Amino acid sequence: MSVAEARDNRARKGAGQRALEAVGAENLSLLIALALLVALIASQSDAFFSSRNMLNIAQNMAVTGLVAVGMTMVIVSAGLDISAGAIAGVAGVVCALLVTQAGTLVGGVAGGLAMGALLGLVNASIINYLRVNPVVATLATLSAFRGVAFLIAPEGKPVGVLDPTFALLGSGRLFQFGGFPGLPIAFLIMAVAAVVGHFIMSQTVFGRSIYSMGGNPAAARLAGIDLNRMRLAIYTIAGALSGLAGVILVARTSSGQPQAGTGLELEAITSVFLGGALLAGGKGTVAGTMLAVLLLAVLSNGMNLLGIQTFYQLVAKGLLLVVAVAIGQWRMVRAERRQARLTAAGQG
Amino acid sequence: MTASILDVAHVGKSFPGVRALADVSLTVAPGEVVALVGENGAGKSTLLKILSGDYRLDEGTVSLGGAEVSHASPLEARRAGFRLVRQEPEIVPDISAAENVFVGEYPRRSLGRVDHGAMREAMAAQLRRYGFKGLVDPDQAGRSLSPAQTHIVEIVSALKPGVKVVAFDEPTSSLTSDEVERLFQLIRQLKAEGLGIIYVSHRLKEVLAISDRVVVLKDGRVTGNLVTARTSEDEIVRYMVGRELVHDFRREETTRPEVVLEVSHLSSRWHRDVSFSIRAGEILGFGGLVGAGRTELAKVLFGEYPRAGGTVRLLGRERDIRSPSDAIAADIGFAPENRKAEGLILVRSVIENASMAVYRRLSRWGVLSDRRMVEKVAPVIRALDVKTPSMEQEVGKLSGGNQQKVVLSRWLAAGPRLLILDEPTRAVDVGAKAEIYRLIDRLARDGMAIMLISSEMPELLALSDRIVVMSGGRLSPVIEKKDATEEIVVSYALGKGMAA
Repeated sequence: MSVAEARDNRARKGAGQRALEAVGAENLSLLIALALLVALIASQSDAFFSSRNMLNIAQNMAVTGLVAVGMTMVIVSAGLDISAGAIAGVAGVVCALLVTQAGTLVGGVAGGLAMGALLGLVNASIINYLRVNPVVATLATLSAFRGVAFLIAPEGKPVGVLDPTFALLGSGRLFQFGGFPGLPIAFLIMAVAAVVGHFIMSQTVFGRSIYSMGGNPAAARLAGIDLNRMRLAIYTIAGALSGLAGVILVARTSSGQPQAGTGLELEAITSVFLGGALLAGGKGTVAGTMLAVLLLAVLSNGMNLLGIQTFYQLVAKGLLLVVAVAIGQWRMVRAERRQARLTAAGQG
Repeated sequence: MTASILDVAHVGKSFPGVRALADVSLTVAPGEVVALVGENGAGKSTLLKILSGDYRLDEGTVSLGGAEVSHASPLEARRAGFRLVRQEPEIVPDISAAENVFVGEYPRRSLGRVDHGAMREAMAAQLRRYGFKGLVDPDQAGRSLSPAQTHIVEIVSALKPGVKVVAFDEPTSSLTSDEVERLFQLIRQLKAEGLGIIYVSHRLKEVLAISDRVVVLKDGRVTGNLVTARTSEDEIVRYMVGRELVHDFRREETTRPEVVLEVSHLSSRWHRDVSFSIRAGEILGFGGLVGAGRTELAKVLFGEYPRAGGTVRLLGRERDIRSPSDAIAADIGFAPENRKAEGLILVRSVIENASMAVYRRLSRWGVLSDRRMVEKVAPVIRALDVKTPSMEQEVGKLSGGNQQKVVLSRWLAAGPRLLILDEPTRAVDVGAKAEIYRLIDRLARDGMAIMLISSEMPELLALSDRIVVMSGGRLSPVIEKKDATEEIVVSYALGKGMAA
């Protein structure tokens, strides 16, 4: 089939098919899973649809969501950032110290962000210039950064932040009117990050280049993409978003805790893979990731509502990561087989 | 004819986007040499990989010495007696030649210890038996083996006890004529020992010299099964292409006075004192053997590999190119030899792959416009007649020729002044090949300077306005088109007449 014919074909597609394309086939299965999950939890617990619970879910997904936006960029570029949770921890302590010692709220937020960005830059530098594989590099910094968080916290203890204005960042709401409970500020921040992230990934030279370098670094370099510079930018952005997540954690818990953000990377990485990214890089979308973040938030909320122990939840989260990656691999194999069958039938 | 030792019946195999084999049947009798010929992509390699157990067949059966081995694993295929002598053997660099011969089948002593002595002896005996005595030392490290020695190791490792059928995949592609003669002697010896031989080659003269029968594959089907003694090169070619071959692509010279690229005394890890220039509208052909340093030269010019000395001028201006992005900024394009490894992002779409190098030009403030991408790049893809269901199709699902056209469309969209083409028709079928020739011709006509690296002699001779030959990192004197013959290029490639 020639390109011209193909274009005609596309124009002839029905509205339903086009709607499906807009959502994406992978995302469709996520939506179905989400609907099933919601139905299951709602049938078991009356509390699920209460506005308090909804707010709870929105607030919980904000922190994971911020980290997951950056993680999407990292994984699409064929990298990984295991240190994300530890970066959130360091950034949180820095933020809490700035707010309490220097008395500056804006400085606290900016400081947390900047610290996150700096640590991201450290990650990229290790990968670029010491040629350490991303998994090993960020596994190392996961330990190192966590240590730093404890070292900069006075006596390694949490730094209490009792500023009511600052606390709004964690639990405040906007757009409250009538019966509508409003939206948590933290959720709105995440939503803005997600929209901007999606725009960057799909519409900018930088974003498209991330897909190229993830799909085939050698070819991307020969097409003029500077891989080292890309990595510096990607890990710095991811670090800044982890830092922001750390700041929000401080606002929510009213303290900068050195161990804050533990396990955040696992949730973010799971979301990215569940959202359709490939382990090998080159594929994945922020939209898919955010759907998966929502799914995870609902799942973990549901397990809490149904009184499932935290330890079981940890096991479940681990399993989910394996399932998410396995689905991606299975999909790839299946697509190849289908293509081969079509070819054999003479339609290829 | 005696009963066949290998019997392939109605075998079919498909891959995403390609029907690789359909209803392929062939037999090999003991002591018979069956040549398997066909254009690139005709299905020869796929068939060999099915026989060696690397691929699973979709349909049909394979029997070896009377036992069915249709779904054998690589190990089972070996045990049943099928051995493949690969074109580019994979040698483990850190173990000895003897160990390479016995990889996966090490002779053992008690407690599972490897019997190094037995291995060395066995290899030495094999070398003596097949006339390779003194050419390879069993203790030599894998990394120190020359291409010819590597080939010997591969042959010796194929000829283990129990072997019934040996397949040679393009065995002569990196051999000198003396080495080819020695290989033929070996094949005659194996024939006499009653082995079945499959001989895969592009070189029809060799096929006619060594085989008893010629099986021709085209587009995954058997189109001819000819007795060698009663056929000719022309007849085989007719079966291969299914139509009269487009002989001798001729092009008018379109060289303009303006010098686009001027390289003076360039040196690098691979090169010494390389100087040449290419004018606008000129195609400068680079001949030479595999490993002579041509691909490396392309990569040095493109900023992928470091340049140690010398100057590079583009349009009269000296340029210090240190990275591919510098090269692109200097209006150079480069279509690498290995398009899957270095050219394409297989999991991304046709349009993305074609736009990659011009993202910046298609954007404002770093924001890409989809509309401009479709406006600027889609016409290029269409002009090259890329066969794809849509612009969003993943490139990995296209055929080899169409993939190559996507790589070319990337550089057409970029519109460089100098285009470096490294083996532009490698693994491309005949039809697409002719199209690519016409395209290269048109680009030169439009004033692009083209550096054409090609190991295919007819291609090099037909397309180039002038030819230089690289050998051991040095460049031969320029051969003008009127003087260019296969013999001259080959003699320079073998290092004759080169400045010391």
